[in-house]
This record gives sequence, C-alpha cells and structure tokens, in this order.
Amino acid sequence: MKLLTKTNIFSFATNIVLFAIGLAIVYKVILAKLDKEADRQLLYTKSQIIKGLNDGISPNEFMANIGQKIYVRKINKQSIFTNIFIEYAGKEFSKKSSSKDGIIQRELLFQTKIGKQAYEITICISLAEGKQIGEYISIVVFIFLLVSFFLIFLLNRYISDYLWSPFNDTLSQIKTWNIKKQNNLNFKNTDIDEFHLLNDTLKDLTQQIKSDYLNLKEFTENVSHETQTPLAIISTKIEMLMQETNYTEKQNQLLVHTYNATQRLYKLNKGLILLTRIENKQFIETSLINLAHVFDEKINILEDFLEAKSIVIERVYNKVVIKEINADLLSILLDNLLINAIKYNLEESGMIKITIDEESFSVENTSFKEKINPQFLFERFNKNSISGSLGLGLSLIKRIVDFYNWHVSYSCKDGIHKFKIYL
Amino acid sequence: MKILIVEDEKSLREDVIDYLSQNGYKCDFATTIQSALSKLKETTYVCALVDVGLPDGSGIEVVAHIKKINPEMGIIIVTAKNSLEDKLEGLKIGADDYLTKPFHLSELNARINSVIRRRNFGGKNTLSFEGLEIDPIEKRVIANNIQLQLTKKEYDILVFLANSPTHLITKEALADAIWGDKAEMATSFDFVYSQIKNLKKKLNEAGLKNYIKVVYGMGYKFKD
Repeated sequence: MKLLTKTNIFSFATNIVLFAIGLAIVYKVILAKLDKEADRQLLYTKSQIIKGLNDGISPNEFMANIGQKIYVRKINKQSIFTNIFIEYAGKEFSKKSSSKDGIIQRELLFQTKIGKQAYEITICISLAEGKQIGEYISIVVFIFLLVSFFLIFLLNRYISDYLWSPFNDTLSQIKTWNIKKQNNLNFKNTDIDEFHLLNDTLKDLTQQIKSDYLNLKEFTENVSHETQTPLAIISTKIEMLMQETNYTEKQNQLLVHTYNATQRLYKLNKGLILLTRIENKQFIETSLINLAHVFDEKINILEDFLEAKSIVIERVYNKVVIKEINADLLSILLDNLLINAIKYNLEESGMIKITIDEESFSVENTSFKEKINPQFLFERFNKNSISGSLGLGLSLIKRIVDFYNWHVSYSCKDGIHKFKIYL
Repeated sequence: MKILIVEDEKSLREDVIDYLSQNGYKCDFATTIQSALSKLKETTYVCALVDVGLPDGSGIEVVAHIKKINPEMGIIIVTAKNSLEDKLEGLKIGADDYLTKPFHLSELNARINSVIRRRNFGGKNTLSFEGLEIDPIEKRVIANNIQLQLTKKEYDILVFLANSPTHLITKEALADAIWGDKAEMATSFDFVYSQIKNLKKKLNEAGLKNYIKVVYGMGYKFKD
C-alpha cells in the first residue's frame, strides 16, 4: 500500500470524526445562543408587561407591537415566584412541524402581583426562524468542510508527487546501485530536511559499505597470499626432508603425518578462498552453456575413477538445457555433485544416474552410506563423510545454487541418494 | 642450462634452487623486478620462473620484458592467488605455464623439464635411462627396444616420475600433477597406488625391474 493511500485513509477517518463532532458542537452552540437571545427578549417583554400593568395598559397592546403572543390570566393567589422557561417542540402541537401551528416556540411563564390582583402571564416567542438559521449555518459549514476536504485530498495527490520526487529519485538510484560497479550515487538536491538527511545518510552508508567490501576483498586476497606462501614453504621443506633416507621408523611416521596435515591445510585454504569468492560474487562473467555437454565432459575426466569402482553411468537427457551462467561455477557445482556420487558409491557394481529435464537436473547414486540428515546437509564442515574429506563440497553446492537463485533438494529412497537442482 | 628464479620469498627460493640444482640446473635468482631485468641483461637463460607478486610490482612486467628481449626463453609464472585472471593474463602475455602456490617441487621440476624440452634446447628431447627411453613428443616409451603399451595415466605417471629421478615424489604431488583438481579423489581411494602397481608390472614384464621404488607411507622414487 502506498504511503499516500495510508495517510489518506487515516486523515479521512480522523477528519470524519472531527467534522461530525465539530458540526454537532457548532449546531449546539448556535441553538444555545438562540435560546439565550430568546430568553433575553422574553425577560425584556416581561419587564415591559409589568411596567404596563402598573401603568394600567393592557398587555394585548404589546402583542401588536412586538410580535409576541402574550396570555394574561387573573389568578387568586400567586404560587410561582420565579421565571419558568418552557420550550415546545413543534410536534406537541401538530405532527407536521412545518405547519403554522407546529412551530417551535419558547414560553416564559410567570406570576406577578399588581396591586391586589395576581396575574399569571405567559409570553410565547417563536424559535422557528432562529432554528432554521442554525440549520442553514450548519449545512453551509458542512458543505464547506466537505468541499475543502475533497480539495485537500486532490491537492495532496498532486503535491505528493512533487514533494516525493527527490525521494523517488533516491530510491531508483539505490535500486540500481551495484557494489562492484564504480558508479557513485548522485542524489538530486532537495530543500526538505528529512530527504536531505536521508541522502546524506545513504551516501555515508554506501561509502562505508563499499570501503568495507573493498577491505574484505583485499583481506581475502591477502589471506590467500599470506597463508599460501608460508604453506608453500612448509610443504616444500617437508618434501626436502623426505628426500633424506636415513630416518628411523618413528621419524618417518612423524614426517608423513606432518606432510599429510599440511596437504589438508592447503586444500582447506583453497576451498575456503573459493567459498569466499563465490560469496563475494566474484564470478560474474557468463556464457551460454549446454548442461549435457558439461556433464559429458566431466564424466570423461572422471572416467578413471568410475572405472576403478566399476560404476555404471546412466544418462537421461530429456531436454536440451542451455543456460547463461559462469562456466567456472557450473564446473565446480557438477564436479562436487559427481565427486560425491563417486566417492560415496558402492565399492562394486554401483550406479550413477544423471537426469536433465527442462526445469531441473539431478544426480542419483547408490551408496554405502545411510540417509544423511537433511538438516545439517549443507552446513559448512559437516563432516558427514569419510575421513580425509573436508566437508566443503556440499557447502559449495549450496552456495552456488543460492548464487543463481536455484534450489537444491536431497532425498534418499531404497538406498539411492538423489540430489536434485531446480533451475 | 641456466634458470632464473624471480622470487622474493627467501626460504621458498632457496628450496627451489636447491631442488633444481640437484636436477642438474644452474640457478640464478632475483628478488625484485629491477634486479630481474638487470640479470636478464647480463646472462641468457633457458627458462625463468617468475612470481607474480613481487615487492616492486607484478611479475607480469618481467614476463613482458622477457618476451621482448628473448622470445625463445621458457617462462613459468607462479601465483599465490587462485585467481584465474592472473593466470590468464600471464599466459596471454606469453608465459608457457603457471603454478599456484603451494606447489610440489617435483611438479615444478617436471614443468620446467617439459617447457625446456618443448623448445628443444640442447638438442635432446627424450628422457633416457638404462634400457628405457621416453619420447615426450611422440608419447612413446621404449623399454629394452620394445615399445610399451601404457594407458594415458600410466604414461603420465611414468613421465612425471622420470622427470625427477632419484627424488622422492609424494603421492599427493603425483596425484596433483596427473589429476589436477580431482587429485583429492585419486589419493582418497589409493588410485595412485593401483596405477603405479600396473605400471611397475608392465616395466617388470619388459625386464626393467626396480625402476620405481615404493617408499612406504611417503611416495615413490624413480631409479634409486
């Protein structure tokens, strides 16, 4: 959901509630004001009436003058000493509030004593006009709010495109930013503080990432160089030592063990450097490669080992699959799949089956090993293997498969292990 | 036959010189590009071994210089990086071969022999021993005047061993040289051993006994 849509939804909901409350308050306030005004007029009339009665003028004369109905009744004894205001809703008189009798009116009822005579006087004032004015005001306010709300909504839409343009520009630049390419980020100038801050932060961040990446790359190369040279020295020194002949059995043993450990260390180092290189995405050149050809080539190279274990190779190439990938990575991937399939195969009458389909390829093999726990299958250094092996092979497979956003699955049925890769 | 070693790592350089001297080569050395260039001015070498990572720059410069002044000279580059780019650049500019550190001395010796043989320096291009002659150009092995029928791998092993006679060659070195990056597999199920056994048998049948000696737990020796 777009940010604008989301803010619009929130502001819409809040505005509706606020408008409703505001409108109700405005309406109530207008009504209260009208009542107060009516009361003031009623009280003024009252004082006029009392003054008139005192002077002996009939209240009916006022009616003609001020347009208010006045009912005067003589009573025996004054029982009410305060002013009583009564408001009638129109319907008390008639169901049709618009009819002349059904008008809303406010009355003031009071009793007073003029000389010896007590009077009960009711003054009526019509509120209809005032109420109508109140309603008109409310409607006008309501329409005005509605229109302004709609205008703000439209304005938001158009303004946001303009306001967010530096942000969108920044976004599209980061999207295409590649750590390996030498393109620096050039953001649009903006006078909005937040975006300015964002751009500055991104610039710092990408620079930091880039320098970290370069450091890491350099470190990888240094590790490769710095460890391989001493390793080479150790290895050659041992080989030189081995050229001597007058050793005791024990010295011989020590020498052989040291040599073997050095060889392992060397292969470990090589494997780790390869893994880092894949993780650093240093294999980017690609070419169109026919999968079946590469498999055939690999089987050719591994022929010695297949023969030595008399493994039967079955090839099922259902489709010609040509992929644009890095030749080295594919080579490493297939090597590791096939080498595992040979290494863990039966000592005699083993089988390897290679299947290529449109969307996948698989390597199946018979094995002396039980089903491997898939949970730790692709973990680095999971030594689920015969001694001497480094456990990096499966990790490499996983790494390469991940690199191309492929998917690898492992299954084992009736003693046949199967690695399937979905392209 | 003189070889120039351009390598800044003292210890490694000494071992290389030591090993190659034992195999009948005379060695000069240089530790920087500058010293390598001045050595090349003074003497003519049959082959140069050049480390790519030198203190004053890339060994590729030395390779380019050699190609300019003496295109006949054999060049092997040594790189500590596993990076393909270095190898490709080196080969493109005219190096004959490359080795990645760490390498086996026996392998280095074999590579130098093969580079020199390819260029036919000294007029001799076969490996000759008593009763045994190996012709690397024709890929032919003559034992007591009879041509031996060897598989490709057996032949490769024989040539590799014969390149460093009287030296102990570990089975890892042999596997690396013959099977390259599949070497780990070759050693893991004694593949080298079974190949050697077949080779020994064929040599025995041709009347060449004890040409290959097995040094238990360590490796093999050719013509002790």
